[in-house]
Amino acid sequence: MGQLEIEKIDETTFVLQMGPHHPATHGVLKLFCELEGERVKKIVPEVGYLHRGVEKLAEYKTYPAAMTLTDRLDYISSMSNNIAYCLAIERLMGIEPPVRAKFIRTMVAELTRLSSHLLWLATHALDIGAMTVFLYAFREREQILQFFEKICGARLTVSYPRIGGVRLDIKKNVLEEIYEFMKVMLKRVDEYETLLTENRIWIARTKGIGVISPEEAVSLGITGPALRGSGVCYDIRKHAPYDAYSEVDFEVPLGQQGDTYDRYLCRIREMRQSAFIVKQCIEKMPEGEILAEESPDMDLTPQPKRIIKGGESLWSGFVEFTDEKYELIPKGEIYSAVEAPKGELGFYIVSDGGGKPYRMRVRAPSFIHISAIPKLCEGHLLADIIAIIGTLDIVMGEADR
Amino acid sequence: MNNFIKRLFFIDLIKGLIITFKTIFSTPVTIRYPKQKRPIEHGFRGRHAFVRDPESGKERCVACTKCAQVCPSQCIYIDFAINSETGARVLTKYEIDALRCIFCGYCEEVCPVNALVLTEFFEYASYDRETNYFNREKLLNNWDNFIKHHEEVEYLNKFWYLPGINRKRIPSAKRIPKPVLKVMDKVEDS
Ligand code: SF4
Ligand code: SF4
Repeated sequence: MGQLEIEKIDETTFVLQMGPHHPATHGVLKLFCELEGERVKKIVPEVGYLHRGVEKLAEYKTYPAAMTLTDRLDYISSMSNNIAYCLAIERLMGIEPPVRAKFIRTMVAELTRLSSHLLWLATHALDIGAMTVFLYAFREREQILQFFEKICGARLTVSYPRIGGVRLDIKKNVLEEIYEFMKVMLKRVDEYETLLTENRIWIARTKGIGVISPEEAVSLGITGPALRGSGVCYDIRKHAPYDAYSEVDFEVPLGQQGDTYDRYLCRIREMRQSAFIVKQCIEKMPEGEILAEESPDMDLTPQPKRIIKGGESLWSGFVEFTDEKYELIPKGEIYSAVEAPKGELGFYIVSDGGGKPYRMRVRAPSFIHISAIPKLCEGHLLADIIAIIGTLDIVMGEADR
Repeated sequence: MNNFIKRLFFIDLIKGLIITFKTIFSTPVTIRYPKQKRPIEHGFRGRHAFVRDPESGKERCVACTKCAQVCPSQCIYIDFAINSETGARVLTKYEIDALRCIFCGYCEEVCPVNALVLTEFFEYASYDRETNYFNREKLLNNWDNFIKHHEEVEYLNKFWYLPGINRKRIPSAKRIPKPVLKVMDKVEDS
């Protein structure tokens, strides 16, 4: 595609190939920039450098094993991906996790949102030139990763939820520690705001950059904080509550202008809301079980089981099989979405009754946000492309899958 | 007007500088890694090991092959023979390719006799591939090395008893938390 553009250029335009190894492209995104002087005339993103065939690979794994693949989609918010996947299978099977599991999931999902937004803030600020925020935000992110280590033994690729609940219970003292940390977290968010929100350099670099109107944002399929920055109130946590979101109290922060600055403010406010949700979850968390009774076992067999008629006849050497197959996971298809830190993360799963998904399709927010880059960058300076890539919060592991 | 004064006297920048200045006097959060180490949390999913049973001095594995079934990256290779007298399975080969492992912890979670464990040891990078291709002896060695440096008298992994999950759902050996005692003299021998 880029080759075609190059053929058409005249003497005043210059084609710059940015990436795929550019640190500011947040992974391996390649951009063909058609420049006129320093103005961007046209931009063509190229994806696929991190393609690992996750969707196809999932067809060869049993349902519990395929969950570990979802960790590696958006690798900085793996807990949300796990939850989205488990929720899809749960809805397909028609099972409901116990209340405690729901609260635990809500809590860890919000912790993930915090850590993801912290990483976004850190790298976005670093791209624009604010080094201090980068170091401060990583300090807090480290704390959250340590909580994950305490909860499940891993920091990034957690594999913590399980179809029908979660894998391990959380100890009381860990919950208390998290609760205490959330109080500190709110103060830290204020600190970041003091460093950035009123800073004249920050304002000059972000105000009026990458403006997108609500209508355009909706038609491009943008979701998450990037959409809410334009003032469209769409949050799956609020409009189609899953897990324990219907039982906690929170606001959906909205922007007005739809520029980079508003999206920044939205995410910052969202971080505060996340801290509130985590606190509420810990306060309201009941005692009890963490795994639904009907949930499938870890060692799910890949083939559908045959129903054996007359169990006693096994002893005398006669085994009767019927042709009917016992369905491990009900036949059917489902689309279910959650509000991941980046936007709407959906899983479309087709089941043929066996222990493996027949098809798994991931609706990744990052992939759709990349398609909005040409629209957002039009007419801006080359240096603003970096700010725009940062503000969309792209993770290539999710976009290329 | 207010905004103008703020801009004129660099209030926005000074506020930020106050924060960065205060941070000079706070305790550093970074550590000097190879010399100084962060304590690892209990239940961290690190290098694999076979638990050396304090009574028999051997591994506990009963060759049920459950761990090989659930492993998402299919990096566990098991072979077993059947003892013709007792009818019991005898483990003949057990290998884990740790370079392919994704440290999900599924294997230790399904193991019905708590034979396998992901220890809290994490510094095992090497220059060749063989070092991290574990067979039975290496897995037992990993355990000895790990338990030698373990501070408490007994070791209990949380994936061994799965707190919070209905006791009826899990194999009987996992229902009650059974820590492994640290046996000092045996550790010294090996
Ligand atoms: S931790 Fe996971 S990937 Fe590694 S050996 Fe065990 S089951 Fe396999
Ligand atoms: S699950 Fe445990 S007992 Fe079974 S083969 Fe694996 S290590 Fe051995």
